Amino acid sequence: MPAQYEPEGQAPPTAGLFLLQALIWILFCTFTLRIWYLQIYRGAEFETKALDNQLRQEAMFAPRGLVRDRDGKLVAVNEPAYALGLVREDCKDISATLDKISEWTGIDRDELREKFHKYKRLVKPFEPMILVPDIPFEQLAVVEANALFWPGLEIVVRSKRYYKQHDLLAHVLGYVADANEVELTQNPSLALGDNVGKGGLELVLENRLRGTKGLRQVEVDATGRRLKQTILREPLAGEHINLSIDLGLQAQASRQLEGQAGAIVVMEPATGKVLAFVSQPSYDANMFVTGLSQKQWINLRDDPMHPLQNRVIQSMFPPGSIYKLVVGGALLEDGFDPKETVYCGGQIKLGRRVFRCWKKHGHGRVNYQKAQVESCDVYFYNAGDRLKVEKMSAFAKGCGFGAVTGIALPHEKSGLVPTPAWKRKRYGEPWVGGDNLNMAIGQGFNLVTPIQVARYISALVNGGSLYRPLLLADAQPELQGTLPLSDLNRTMIVEAMVETVESGTARRLKRKGVRMGGKTGTAQVVRLKLKEDDERRTTEEMSYEERDHAWLASFGEKDGKTYVAVCMVEHGGHGGTAAGPILKAIYDYLFSEERQ
Amino acid sequence: MSFIDRRVLQHINWALLGLTLVLFGLGVLNLYSASGFRMESGVAVNTFFQKQLAWGLIGMGGMLVCIFLDYRHLTTLAWPLFGLTVALLVCVPLFGKTIYGARRWLDLGFFNFQPSEVAKISMLLLGAKLLSKGQRPLDWGMLFGVMFLGLIPAGLIILQPDLGSGLSVLMLLGGMIMYRGLQKRVLKPLFITLPLLLPLSWFFLHDYQKQRILTFLNPGSDPLGSGYHILQSQIAIGSGRMWGKGFLAGTQSQLRFLPEKHTDFAIAVFGEEWGFVGCIILLSLFCLFLYQIFLTAQEAKDRFGSFLAAGVFFYFFWLVLINMGMVLGLMPVVGIPLPFISYGGSAMVVNLCLIGVVMNVSMRRFVFKRS
Repeated sequence: MPAQYEPEGQAPPTAGLFLLQALIWILFCTFTLRIWYLQIYRGAEFETKALDNQLRQEAMFAPRGLVRDRDGKLVAVNEPAYALGLVREDCKDISATLDKISEWTGIDRDELREKFHKYKRLVKPFEPMILVPDIPFEQLAVVEANALFWPGLEIVVRSKRYYKQHDLLAHVLGYVADANEVELTQNPSLALGDNVGKGGLELVLENRLRGTKGLRQVEVDATGRRLKQTILREPLAGEHINLSIDLGLQAQASRQLEGQAGAIVVMEPATGKVLAFVSQPSYDANMFVTGLSQKQWINLRDDPMHPLQNRVIQSMFPPGSIYKLVVGGALLEDGFDPKETVYCGGQIKLGRRVFRCWKKHGHGRVNYQKAQVESCDVYFYNAGDRLKVEKMSAFAKGCGFGAVTGIALPHEKSGLVPTPAWKRKRYGEPWVGGDNLNMAIGQGFNLVTPIQVARYISALVNGGSLYRPLLLADAQPELQGTLPLSDLNRTMIVEAMVETVESGTARRLKRKGVRMGGKTGTAQVVRLKLKEDDERRTTEEMSYEERDHAWLASFGEKDGKTYVAVCMVEHGGHGGTAAGPILKAIYDYLFSEERQ
Repeated sequence: MSFIDRRVLQHINWALLGLTLVLFGLGVLNLYSASGFRMESGVAVNTFFQKQLAWGLIGMGGMLVCIFLDYRHLTTLAWPLFGLTVALLVCVPLFGKTIYGARRWLDLGFFNFQPSEVAKISMLLLGAKLLSKGQRPLDWGMLFGVMFLGLIPAGLIILQPDLGSGLSVLMLLGGMIMYRGLQKRVLKPLFITLPLLLPLSWFFLHDYQKQRILTFLNPGSDPLGSGYHILQSQIAIGSGRMWGKGFLAGTQSQLRFLPEKHTDFAIAVFGEEWGFVGCIILLSLFCLFLYQIFLTAQEAKDRFGSFLAAGVFFYFFWLVLINMGMVLGLMPVVGIPLPFISYGGSAMVVNLCLIGVVMNVSMRRFVFKRS
């Protein structure tokens, strides 16, 4: 047993022992308080933050409604597109990442940066900001291989609009493109990179086509990796839409105008439904979907043939002799006896001015029908002199001219029905007698659009009802008015149109077994006076810009089916010659064996 | 085991051993959760907890050795061990292995060895040996002498760079100095000058260390950068609320929002999954654990034993204070692990050896006393 003693000076330091005890208490109290503060006092707040960390709500794209023609053939579809997005919250170095995107895609880095800063406030930090809306497949492989090293980069699969027929229906459908800043600000449900309709039906029917976005809750880890997702609300696809357009007819009509500028409308007169709607030249709407380059845009905008102009509803031309169908109606309604004849000697004098008939040596004595069939100018000069501008204008307005038809397309022009007040305002000159005469043969100040003409012709053959032109297959006819024309007088005009095909200027449309009617028009580009000197130049001898616009308005009826077809060829020359073969080809399609 | 008095075994400090084992068990359990992370399907688990278990067993071997060798022999080991430590620390910059940009490890072939861990033990022994001599509080001469000795290994470790370990060596020594006490004429000037000198240390800090301090003062300034640790660990702990989210159910940690979750921030995982109740229990366990070490220091037979226990006390006290302070957002981010809870092999071995030393002192407290 060792000695048991406690040597002096081996006692532990008293103050030191006190210090140790005190430290234990300090440790316990401080951290208890802090833990209480974090877990109890602010616990609920941190719990919310933990959930925010982990759960993200994301919008789910709703597929845009498909567009088909009247027979169900697809014209506008959705295709998968790969977009490159950037989640700011997950991105460590935004500037370097943008540079990298620029390197991969070849997009200018300043352009990317500008886009990034412009849209920063519109995209939530944890949502992918679409910087490259459509990335080609080769580039996608490069990005995908490297995405791991660039946190925050995300490849987003979206649907992209694709117009199967490219330029064929561009003026009907319009196109979609990325929503711009204004649209994004106005509509909170839109996200950067979403497509919205920018023109045509895509714009007008935007709300029906767009659908409703879905909402999904995604559980993510700190690197943004998706672990689990729950769909909170299914996306609702946009409504599918069937056009009244007949795709085959549209293609046939479009081919007829190839290389020329002009418009063709084919309409069902009984309903106002449009079967063909052609404005040539056209453009490939797909270009807009993924974004035009500056160069592509300038080329389109500055093209001398104006492919962006929708000639069916936006081109306003003098109607030429087509207008005799209107003035004739006004004349008959004014009580003028159609049997009464007028002598045409090739010209008429009003004061000191001479107004010529297109037939130099005149038509001799003509009654109403002969005047319309042969398009006798002198007969209608007399009508204009009798009716004056007031009656003609009122009647033209009653027939739907000088106002938009209300077709469901943006930027329709209203044309022009002149009045003395208008002329004074526009030119500072009073209306003179000669203006009445020019107006009566469709020259002068009158301006019409092809769709207006088609609607008027439809009203003539359907019993006098002015229907709103319709582009959708399931649309209900909308009566907009009735022609200010008695059935008797209307029939008189229609019969004269039939006779015009039988023996007049529209003979090219003659077709066995079909009741055809028509009226040609030649709208002079160079003012009449100037023409008097070299009046008899042929179309080929004139430069393109000076050539007349060719009009042909027609209808065809067989087995209870009636169609109205209107064609306008810009600088095409004489109506019957230029537009005749075009409409003949259209009736070939409409009355072909297979179609019956 | 003839050199062991049977009576000594009867006085084994079961409370301290029990607390140590409970803390170790909780640490392994928590690591099991902390090393899991949710994948697209199911939970993948890293092998940290298995390694920790293995290191624990090695450490217990070391602890047994430390228990049964009479601690009074350690005084003779103090100087040689200190010399060896300094030699190893000098070797680190010459032959050391660089991991994460810091040269801290010596490659011993089968495992990587951190001489800074040995430095803690040798500092403890040398400090206890020197400071247990004499009764009076320290005067200037003694203070500078001891501090000078401490600064040699600490400086070498800080240069590696490993600020955390270097500071813990210094703080262990500092704790023992405070335990011994300072003369009033030393204490007073120190009280005045130390707070003035502290800002000067700013100029010796690395940029990333300055950044951590700045971010601590304003974590919101850089929520995705260095403030991320602070915010995320507070979110993890805070969202545990009263009862916690349950074992393996912590979303912050399983979804990897929480960085360093198996090492320095392991207690955040614990807090998230076990809540306020669990945290207070863990904190209480640590305090009882420290209290047992305190009792050992109080009841030690001689001053050397008392100082050994006090040194171990401070060693653990600082680690708990700094690590929990950091995770709870009360202190800047410093890479200091929480004993038994954070993953770390050599730290685990050292921790258990130190407990062994304390138990050694504890069970020999009656040897020379009359019963």
